[in-house]
Amino acid sequence: MNKMATSHVNVPGEPTETGTALLETATGTIQGFQPINNIHQHLCAFHFYAHDMTRQVEAHHFCGHLNEDVRQCLIYDSPNKDARLIGIEYIVVESLFLTLPDDEKPLWHSHEFEVKGGYLFMPGVPGIVERQDLKQVCKTYGKVIHFWQVDRGDPLPLGIPQIMMALTRPGQLDENIAKDVEKRFGVSFEEQREQRKDLSGPDHGIHPLANAAGRGLKTELREVDIPPATSMPRVFV
Amino acid sequence: MASSDEKPGPTPVATGDKPTPPGEPTTLSSKILDKGAGMMQSLKPVKEMKQHVCTFALYAHDLSRQIETHHYVGRLNQDVLQCAVYDSDKRKANLIGVEYIISPKLYETLPEEEQKLWHSHAYEIKSGLWVNPGVPQMLEKPELENMACTYGKFWCTWQVDRGDRLPLGAPALMFSPQPVNRGRVRPDLVQRRDEKYKISTEELRESRVDIQEPEIHPNADYWVKHNKGFAVDVKPADMKRLAPFP
Repeated sequence: MNKMATSHVNVPGEPTETGTALLETATGTIQGFQPINNIHQHLCAFHFYAHDMTRQVEAHHFCGHLNEDVRQCLIYDSPNKDARLIGIEYIVVESLFLTLPDDEKPLWHSHEFEVKGGYLFMPGVPGIVERQDLKQVCKTYGKVIHFWQVDRGDPLPLGIPQIMMALTRPGQLDENIAKDVEKRFGVSFEEQREQRKDLSGPDHGIHPLANAAGRGLKTELREVDIPPATSMPRVFV
Repeated sequence: MASSDEKPGPTPVATGDKPTPPGEPTTLSSKILDKGAGMMQSLKPVKEMKQHVCTFALYAHDLSRQIETHHYVGRLNQDVLQCAVYDSDKRKANLIGVEYIISPKLYETLPEEEQKLWHSHAYEIKSGLWVNPGVPQMLEKPELENMACTYGKFWCTWQVDRGDRLPLGAPALMFSPQPVNRGRVRPDLVQRRDEKYKISTEELRESRVDIQEPEIHPNADYWVKHNKGFAVDVKPADMKRLAPFP
């Protein structure tokens, strides 16, 4: 079966009413949006579920720097106005990744293969500029959590968060998905691979605990006991 | 391997005394690259966020852990909103999660097991906890009545309030303030927020008295009736593969 990286199911609901749209135009003008204004970059890449490589998603990252070593990204299913917000990615440099506890490291993935492979790219940005940044990204690790399983046609964000992984070797990315993205964005992964030969991955090599410790991950929901809603909490002075 | 209700293992990262997150200040060359990219790329989805809401949320595994949140809200249609949630309204705010907001009509179509993960907004709005900083009351009022009927699903990916300098662990479900003892927001948190924006939550509550009290679906705000919260665990599993991994 040809698995599409994004489903084209419409989001249920009525079209936005005029009054609502007008109010939002106003609030959009009056209010401050500093954290959003810090987002300066659009990256396109591919994620798959940490328990299922066959389910692959085209992921549009909108990223901002918290500092030189840490970025945070909103992930959408397309670069368009009506894109669905499907997840979050955090990106850190190698030195910070190495400080993570050992049971945290598996939730993170390496970027070396998808950058060198040409699969991660910045739409609209000339290669020579793109490569300046990709030189850094190549050595980083990312943590991706998705909330909306658009690849299985969910009309709304159902279920629990999913930890995602990224490409780590040839043969993983579905060819149809690859060709579709190459066509829509006018890129050639193979050409990019050629241009990116001099990029290198983490200085200490890819950590064995990264990428789901080489196995896989799944998330589960658990009910926990909590004090009764009507009981009095401790008083905080 | 990781659970949303467990403290992460000790690392230089998890102490709360230094500013989150660790790392060098952004270099000039990064800034220039960013600026350059920003000029060439349209960033359309991000421009759809047209509302800033400041409110409060409670961890679904521990209602006593409460945070002030900054939601940047984008609308998909009249019934569905999606929010990027931060821990402040500053440029270098930490991205701490995502919240989805849907109309009662859509909430009713969800399976029961799914409905348990969502929370109501009526009390949060009527009590004045939910504010649109900088927006005159008369402007926001008409839409608040709609918002008061909605349901939200909020996943937190970075537990800044427990001192994590980086996003550690499993994502955590969040719930909304509720009019029961354990669901009320600590007065000091509200006061600090009010002082920052020079507003009065109390006054807002009075001005919102006429907002209709919607009928809340019995499956929302699960913890209130059942005295059970939720945690998320991340566990090792076999990955279904179509090629060798890693």
